[in-house]
Amino acid sequence: MKLGIFYSDLRGNHDMLFRLKGEKIGVFLVGNGIYHATIKEKGEPSPILQKKEIDYYVLSEDLSTRGFSTDEVDSDIKVITYSDLTDLIMNDYDKLAWL
Amino acid sequence: MGTLTIGVFSSLIGSMNLDFAVKLAETAADKGHNVNLWLSGNATTAAKKGQKEYKDYSYLIKKISGLQKKGVQVAACEACSEARGIHAGEDIIEGITSIGMDWYVAKAAKSDRVLHIGVE
Repeated sequence: MKLGIFYSDLRGNHDMLFRLKGEKIGVFLVGNGIYHATIKEKGEPSPILQKKEIDYYVLSEDLSTRGFSTDEVDSDIKVITYSDLTDLIMNDYDKLAWL
Repeated sequence: MGTLTIGVFSSLIGSMNLDFAVKLAETAADKGHNVNLWLSGNATTAAKKGQKEYKDYSYLIKKISGLQKKGVQVAACEACSEARGIHAGEDIIEGITSIGMDWYVAKAAKSDRVLHIGVE
């Protein structure tokens, strides 16, 4: 199973995220979830970014509405548009979850 | 091209999840996918006629009718709507079907992708 997980909040259930399994996992940071891609607390990146086998994406529109530019995004995270997101969910991930 | 069904529980005002769902539905329709949008719980507030447009509030009536013009099927849960005083026929925006959850289940069963947004 190729699982696409939407993360739309800064304070979320990180344990749930790490309990989800799949042959391929992608995390889409949307809404307030984009803060995981841009802010560091106590100098550390977000705890949800520590899984090397996960592909991380952040929605460009939700970044810019919150005042962030793409070069403020953690380098391990791919900045995508709604069009990219549509292609990813329709082609690369067959199951979707919203946390 | 494929079929995407999106189900949303989130409120029209106070959560950006419904705005996200509408934009994703619009993008998928523009790319030639078949899209179904199911509004239930507090998301049925988006199906109500007579919403007033204020600059700093989510106002999705035009966006939703735009989706319908692109062939997106939009349905609102009849029970959730009625429970919130949004009555089929009188209160629901033209073109939005007020119907039971079996509509959503049937659409989801036949879709390539299903995204359920169950939180505020």
